[in-house]
Amino acid sequence: MNASTTNFFEAIGAPVVDIARAWGSMFGCGLRTLRAIAMARIAWREVIHQSYLIGNRSVPFITVTLGFLGMISVYQVAMQIKQIIPDFTMLGPAFIQIMIREFAPTITGLMIATRVGSGIAAEIGSMTVTEQVDALRMCNADPIVYLIVPRAIACMVMVLMLSIYAVLVSTISGMLMANGAFDINMRTFLSLQLTNGDDIVIGAVKALAYGFSIPIIAGNAGLTTSGGSEGVGWATTRAVVSTSFAVVVLDFLISAAGYIFT
Amino acid sequence: MIEFIDIHKRFGSNVVLDGVSITVDTGQVLYIIGASGAGKSVLVKHLIGLLRPDSGRIILDGEDITWLDEEGFYPIRRKCAMVFQNSTLFDSMTLLENVMLPLRKHHKMGRKEAAKAARAKLELVNMDRDADQYPAAIGDGLRKRVAIARALTLDPQFVIFDEPTTGLDPMAAATVDDLIRSLRSDAGVTCVVVSHDLRSIFTVADRIAMIYKGKIRLDGTPEQFRNSDDGVIHQFVNGLPEGPMSV
Repeated sequence: MNASTTNFFEAIGAPVVDIARAWGSMFGCGLRTLRAIAMARIAWREVIHQSYLIGNRSVPFITVTLGFLGMISVYQVAMQIKQIIPDFTMLGPAFIQIMIREFAPTITGLMIATRVGSGIAAEIGSMTVTEQVDALRMCNADPIVYLIVPRAIACMVMVLMLSIYAVLVSTISGMLMANGAFDINMRTFLSLQLTNGDDIVIGAVKALAYGFSIPIIAGNAGLTTSGGSEGVGWATTRAVVSTSFAVVVLDFLISAAGYIFT
Repeated sequence: MIEFIDIHKRFGSNVVLDGVSITVDTGQVLYIIGASGAGKSVLVKHLIGLLRPDSGRIILDGEDITWLDEEGFYPIRRKCAMVFQNSTLFDSMTLLENVMLPLRKHHKMGRKEAAKAARAKLELVNMDRDADQYPAAIGDGLRKRVAIARALTLDPQFVIFDEPTTGLDPMAAATVDDLIRSLRSDAGVTCVVVSHDLRSIFTVADRIAMIYKGKIRLDGTPEQFRNSDDGVIHQFVNGLPEGPMSV
């Protein structure tokens, strides 16, 4: 094999190997986190602290984003309905169903992916490049148990809670828009006739899946950081892109599974 | 005794260690020297499983530890401590809690018992009065002292110091040098010190090994380094800007 052929295969093979390593590292991180949770190796104090940082600190952000999303969605859909048949009876029930099943957990997941995912990657990345993660390992403290597990549990619980809150905020804002702009009765809007148990289960499964994947992906980006402050910057960018991508892919997969199995 | 045998390590296309072999006898203070990025810290991190070699073997007290898994390294890290270059104290913990952590994790000690033992170690480095401070509230030199106290909490047989005097004022650096000397003379601790500090190197070292271009350039006594005709060694030990080593 001559040098140019070798270079050609290296050029193709190197990115493939890098991607395989990155996926292997991420899934390894996820499996070790699940194993630590199963073995009850959980620092509960840190879980509470992280729940505050991830959950409470995100409330204003979620309120504004989902509040506006509710109003915009209702306005746009109502405008479309008005052009076809001006009957708004099913607007509220359909809006609530799609919020529970789709938009509340997914938009919340994307918001948490950007706000919390970047923070986790930056914090753990800084600890990695300043050798604090190595120091933890020297103290017999597994970085997965100390850094990833508390964030994974806190994020799962808090994305679920924030998704429920997001449904409430978007529904109230949507209802006010429907009443104010289209004179739709609030009781008519607040009907759950299209929502069933499957919608709630699918919405909850999405929230839990996003909540677990965000700290795993962001934390792994932090733990594999190298190259000083520039490396931390890259890890943060990689975490935001990867966690957002993961939320969209998980949304597709869980939605598909939901339509197939319910 | 520590033996590094034909250690090879590369990061991507960058060959850092290209067949390094060194032996450190029990109770000896070995200084590993070399230019920045020569692979000194990389080499010592292999001893405690923070890095794994591409090839080669690491023997600690007759036990081949090269391919132990993470849990297999726990007992090794009990007897072989490391003082990191950046001190690496945990910002969310007080100085006392930082020193308590290895005791709580390795020996599963209770909080009170660990606190008592940790205070004794802080006393050793004259930091017991600041025990309840957070790392952010003290200077670099003091943080380094606490990092040394944390490394000594488990009474290790081997201690690795990664640039222990870098960034310290001359008095603080001399205190660290004294501490390394007393570890060797009073407790028989084997010390591996990564350093650029020529004053420390020539006042404390029993032996010196220099890494250059991934290989050991010279492994010998301070006298042998002082009297070496090798241009690379001469340039380094005299701190000359001109010479075969690119600066």
